[in-house]
Amino acid sequence: MIEFRNVSKTYSTGTEAVHSATFKINKGDFAFLVGTSGSGKSTLIKLILKEEEPSSGNIIINGKDTTFLKKSRVPYLRRSMGVVFQDFRLLPDKTVYENVAFAMYIVRATPRHIRRQVPMVLSLVGLSGKAKMYPNELSGGEQQRVALARALVNNPSMLIADEPTGNLDPETAWDIMTLLDDINKRGTTVVVATHAKDIVDRMKKRVIQIDKGIIIRDSEKGGYDSEV
Amino acid sequence: MIVKFNIVGYLIGEGFRNTFKNKKSTFSAMLVMCISMLIFGLFFIIGENVNHIMKTVENAQAIEVFIKLDATDEEIKTLGEQLKAIEGISKVEFLSKEEGFERYKERYGDKSYLIDSYQSVIPDSYIINFTDLKLSNQVIAKVNELDNIKEITSANTTIEKLVNITNGIRIVTMVILVGLVIGAIFIISNTIKLTVYARRKEISIMKYVGATNSFIRWPFIVEGMIIGILSACISILIVGGLYKMAANGLLSSPTIQKLGITFVSFADMFNMIIIVYLMLGIGIGVLGSSMSMKKYLEV
Repeated sequence: MIEFRNVSKTYSTGTEAVHSATFKINKGDFAFLVGTSGSGKSTLIKLILKEEEPSSGNIIINGKDTTFLKKSRVPYLRRSMGVVFQDFRLLPDKTVYENVAFAMYIVRATPRHIRRQVPMVLSLVGLSGKAKMYPNELSGGEQQRVALARALVNNPSMLIADEPTGNLDPETAWDIMTLLDDINKRGTTVVVATHAKDIVDRMKKRVIQIDKGIIIRDSEKGGYDSEV
Repeated sequence: MIVKFNIVGYLIGEGFRNTFKNKKSTFSAMLVMCISMLIFGLFFIIGENVNHIMKTVENAQAIEVFIKLDATDEEIKTLGEQLKAIEGISKVEFLSKEEGFERYKERYGDKSYLIDSYQSVIPDSYIINFTDLKLSNQVIAKVNELDNIKEITSANTTIEKLVNITNGIRIVTMVILVGLVIGAIFIISNTIKLTVYARRKEISIMKYVGATNSFIRWPFIVEGMIIGILSACISILIVGGLYKMAANGLLSSPTIQKLGITFVSFADMFNMIIIVYLMLGIGIGVLGSSMSMKKYLEV
């Protein structure tokens, strides 16, 4: 599903953000990418999204090497992944429903498909009653649910979350994590970049730890920094 | 096909929504575009009219070629044929000694008795008209090479002045056009940049959800086009109205009437102006918006 083979990334400024990373996340997996800020987590996410190109090595997504993927094909690669961010990135002048439907417009879904799919996803994230509300009328947790609904509405095979709980209080953060777990149980591969130690410890999922650009640990059902 | 139509509708609709949502920047862009188009229109119209007046003058502008007094009828005839053969001459008219003398008498009016004694020295002549005033110098040079010519009278300086004025106006119009196009592209690209900037979040979301670049770009291009087309329509109305007023005003002035000058009707220039305006509007809109998009599509 997502495979890194000796991937290194050096930015034009000379900083080496990732050094020779090799790991594989299989279909249906749930994996945490952990590390302090500046450790290279975000670069890993950007590499998966092909927002950045690796300086060397290969990245294989869904069985296809994306290293030589044409720029014009990148949008189609991204349609196989849903993405959520720490800052939700919702459109403030669109309702919850429109924010989600927007993602379907972009991939040129038919209006009928949109009318059927959006309410389904909203009920999946527990926001059925809030379709007509605007983002600023919602709590942080609810906004992140809208972002999740938008990420999931086109049925991506994987969900990439970059610090999804960074702006939320612990309780809400936990709710979002359980939701991610539910989504994973429905068959979607989930990759979560985070530095929320307690959540990682509590979830008992696979943990890939990165420090100063180097992957220092990859353990099944590990904690944030469990003793090796 | 239904899906396709829906998408086109969506993209155009988004373009319209953008245009009318950012009323302030749309308005300022349209203002600048309109001013550019009006200035261009002004010079274009002046140019067209000077051209038109020149044509009128060209027809009236003739030079007189005096024939040597000792030329035989045969030689005079040959000269006439040779003149007709020169490129750039539209009309050759023979004026005999007697007719020539009559003309001079007319010119002197009641003092014509003064020139009575000169009748014997007035030669036969040919009056020639030019097809194009710009060629007048070449034509005169060619005429000079012919035999049996005593003298050529011409309004050389007037002709040159007129040619210079028209050429000047043409060059100024072109320079202004180029300058305005560059300026307008810059302004439009800034306007669209504002829209793009205001919507950079939306664009980045679109990129993450997997929107193709052209899908993101089209609404902005439509926005640029709408601004361009609206500006073109407004400008044509203003230019048309002002021109009618100005032309009517000038035509009623006695000086203009005495000179026998007419103006080009706006309808004759309308096609040209509307084509130029629409091309400018759409071209500038599309170019400006594509330029401003580049940076934000690199996600």
